[in-house]
Amino acid sequence: MIENFNRFVLANTGTLLDGLWVTAYVCFWAFLLAIVLGLIACLIRMRLPYARVVAIGYIEFCRATPILVQLLWVNYVWPEVFGFPQTVTGAGVIALALQSSGYLAETFRSGFEGLPKGQREAALAVGMSRWRIVSRIEAPQVGLVVAPLVVNQLAVVVKSSTLVSIIAIPDLMYQGLKIVNQWYEPIEVLTTIALTYFALLFAISRIANYAYVYFQTKFGIASSR
Amino acid sequence: MFVALQNVFDPALFWEYRAVLLTGLLQNIIIFAESAVLAIFLAFIVGIASLSRHGPVRWTAVAYAEFFRNTPEYVLLVWVYFVLPLIIGTALGTKANLSPHVAAVIGLGVAYSGFLSETVRAGLRSVSYGQTESALSLGMSGFTALRRIVLPQAVRRMLPEAVNQLVSLFKSTTIVSLIAVQDIMYQVSMISVAEMRPVPLYTGAALLYCIVIIVATQLFQRLTERWRRRGWA
Repeated sequence: MIENFNRFVLANTGTLLDGLWVTAYVCFWAFLLAIVLGLIACLIRMRLPYARVVAIGYIEFCRATPILVQLLWVNYVWPEVFGFPQTVTGAGVIALALQSSGYLAETFRSGFEGLPKGQREAALAVGMSRWRIVSRIEAPQVGLVVAPLVVNQLAVVVKSSTLVSIIAIPDLMYQGLKIVNQWYEPIEVLTTIALTYFALLFAISRIANYAYVYFQTKFGIASSR
Repeated sequence: MFVALQNVFDPALFWEYRAVLLTGLLQNIIIFAESAVLAIFLAFIVGIASLSRHGPVRWTAVAYAEFFRNTPEYVLLVWVYFVLPLIIGTALGTKANLSPHVAAVIGLGVAYSGFLSETVRAGLRSVSYGQTESALSLGMSGFTALRRIVLPQAVRRMLPEAVNQLVSLFKSTTIVSLIAVQDIMYQVSMISVAEMRPVPLYTGAALLYCIVIIVATQLFQRLTERWRRRGWA
């Protein structure tokens, strides 16, 4: 057991860390893109009368399609139909972002709908423009309310990112499976990978929990309604 | 326009392979049903244990839930498929083998029992403790109080969240194709290799899943809503 651990895990630390770095890279860009897309979809759904049907369709599609299906779809179909993404990494980032943007759009919407309607009316009454109401009045409050939920969505992105290994993005899972296929000794490598992912996701969910408690006590968001 | 559209999505192709695709879907549904039963069974044990009076029992249950909630399903699935047979084999001193189907059910069932146990725990805690106390003071045993008083109310409160979890379990059944269970995604990959036209097939698969899941979600919610209203306590 110890021998195997030394031979398969410690000897390959460099490769596995490379994989972890790719995981981090893919997750970072996917998460950023998901927040932007989610915000856009959410605002369109709430504020634009005719385009909202499109936004609802987009959100429902993203939420109802499994990540594996989206991943393969983006990877095989998009380059031929839309001409991008040209790399597998791009496909992975887009697929992960698509999935999360649907969930985030609904999270943001719940945040916006939690605000008292009077604030918006008051802002309109003093002559603020629509965009200014969103950016100055609503977004700061919504940001605080949804922050823990958004961090939780990062955990979902990291979790789903294990699947990008199947379109040959060299992430942690890919490197691990490569070592397994090379030596046919799965126990140590796969257990190490499982524990690494667990540590990563556990840390993220702790941060989300902490953020929730912190924002509640510091800004008293729940009591401000 | 029409030709371009047919390049993206071709219903005729799906009609041609309908038998294979439907067996694939059936395989998905079977795995979903089996792992859902396993997950719900484990979730109740862990959920109840996580509210136990005994420290070690409670800690074990919380650790179990945290571990399986925070480990990706795909990693668990691969772990169960590759590592578990070796461990069982060493323990029994023989060569053990897990079929992909069994590995898929164990992997997904255990993964989702973590999520569901949190739902169970929240449901149980939502029933005020005074009810348990009065049941106990009437002379019911702890187990009877749980079964007759607490669970019937708790189950009704946890239904909406449990439905959400089961829907994500159904979505996760797509990943079993990666350990060569012949589910719908597996069949789609096989057909696209044979036809050399991945575009319409993957688009079709995405749309198919989208429709199946939206319909199933609505159906589940309707059914449980009725159950909730009827109040079978």
